[in-house]
Amino acid sequence: MKYVILIHSNPQPWGHPTGDFIAENQTLPSAERERLNAEFEAVLTEMQESGELVTAEALGDPSTSRLFRWNAGNPVVTDGPYSEFKEHLAGFFLIDVADQARAEEITSKFSGPGETVELRPAMWPGGDDQ
Amino acid sequence: MTISEPFEDVWRREVPHVLGALVRRYGDFAACEDAVQEALLAASEQWQPGAGPDSPRGWLLRVASRRLIDAHRSERARTARELRAAVRDRVDTEHAPAADHELPGSAAEIALGAGTAGDDRPGGTGSPGHDPETLHLLLLCAHPALTPTAQAALTLRAVGGLTTDQIAAAFLVPSATMGQRISRAKATLAAAGARFAAPTASDLPDRLTAVGQVLYLIFNEGYTTSAGERLMDVALASEAIRLTRELRALVPDHAETAGLLALMLLTQSRAATRVDAAGDLVPLEHQDRARWDHTMITEATSILEVVLPHATVGPYQLQAAIAAVHAEASTWADTDWLQIVILYRMLDGIAPGPTVRLNLAVAVGMAHGPAAGLEVLEPLREDPALRRGHRIHAVRAHLLEMVGDRGPAREEYLTAARMSTSVPEQRYLNARAERLT
Repeated sequence: MKYVILIHSNPQPWGHPTGDFIAENQTLPSAERERLNAEFEAVLTEMQESGELVTAEALGDPSTSRLFRWNAGNPVVTDGPYSEFKEHLAGFFLIDVADQARAEEITSKFSGPGETVELRPAMWPGGDDQ
Repeated sequence: MTISEPFEDVWRREVPHVLGALVRRYGDFAACEDAVQEALLAASEQWQPGAGPDSPRGWLLRVASRRLIDAHRSERARTARELRAAVRDRVDTEHAPAADHELPGSAAEIALGAGTAGDDRPGGTGSPGHDPETLHLLLLCAHPALTPTAQAALTLRAVGGLTTDQIAAAFLVPSATMGQRISRAKATLAAAGARFAAPTASDLPDRLTAVGQVLYLIFNEGYTTSAGERLMDVALASEAIRLTRELRALVPDHAETAGLLALMLLTQSRAATRVDAAGDLVPLEHQDRARWDHTMITEATSILEVVLPHATVGPYQLQAAIAAVHAEASTWADTDWLQIVILYRMLDGIAPGPTVRLNLAVAVGMAHGPAAGLEVLEPLREDPALRRGHRIHAVRAHLLEMVGDRGPAREEYLTAARMSTSVPEQRYLNARAERLT
């Protein structure tokens, strides 16, 4: 089953890994930060080796986005950011795992202070006829 | 072709047909193209000027197919060698001077010989399949140390002879991802190698159960995704049926393997009718039964007629028996629902689970009326495994609609649609809800 893990974050300044640029994360004791980083690196390596990680991208600063809206039959282009919220989509991971439980286990390792991590199932083209 | 027609014209005309036929049958465009090139080369050497074969297309197709199959076979043999080497290396390093340690293949032969009689075919007849080597590979690929998807990928690679690219395409993941899964699976097998002795006659049944699960997973992956708009290079469902046939030839006395083959055939017999022209899913209820594949149905029912009276009945045999009852009915309404209720109760007895109960609720609803079906369904609504899925809501919606509770039925259809992650299913469920507004 395919899922996307969406990282919603507000690094200041914008940068990756986002945790390094988030105040709540920076104020953690260094041992704790190292533990969280090591856990994340471990699950990432594990997914690469098992073939569960399909693809991942870190995204650019939301202010660099271009927004295309429709007006009177024509696209009208303006500058980003798109979201009015403080948190923006900072990156995504596409994973292919055995079940929802495994997806949640992985996603829990992506979680960190000051960020929201969203796990969403991907739709698939097939279906059962029963 | 006319006697004097130059080869070049013949080729230019025939090649797309030959290549198209090969790609349709075997997938893997690059390999098919190579095979066609080799066939053309052979033609240029063998056809006498002005006197080619009567059917150049048939000739090219035959030769190209043969080249392609040879290539697949040597690829398959290579993978099998790698696997055996991986396992053996590990055994060697961990049990170093143990001289009595046999290679896994030979013990599988012994186990097979103990379990079945009759296959006295001499080894090395050149036909892939009916040899203990294949059984051993199937058992190895279904090793419990591997995840189900890794088992499936490895089986397709090692026994099915498919390339990593083809397997990746069939599972809708990039080649690199699939390559990673396959090499991880090989490494896992190597690490578990010492514990993976060849099956003994007593643990063969359990090992066969694992192989059956892998083959069924491959089948379902193929069957349920074939509704997609994309063209699949490899028909996984057909590949699973082919492999199950091979397995059955190897262990003819194993009733559940026979049951699994029957179940696959009965399910696959509906394949042509499960999607409409627009690509939407057509549920069993509305399928055009005249277009079901009756050759497959006949084969499956004759398998069941032999197996069911003589064996301890297992889950695949029961599911196949249920599918056979559907196959026998000329319409959804004519279905022998009482019989299906009985079979689901038996299945619930030997392999209980929420999904079986859910199917039982549908059958009870059809046999004894929707109110009775809803009653069976009621305790399942709290089931943690079912609650997160769309299916229980879809079943409840249908039953509520049958009772005439349009409002609640609509709500359940909408809930089911929201929870479904299948594009055609979601479209179908939303359409049902729409009809009730």
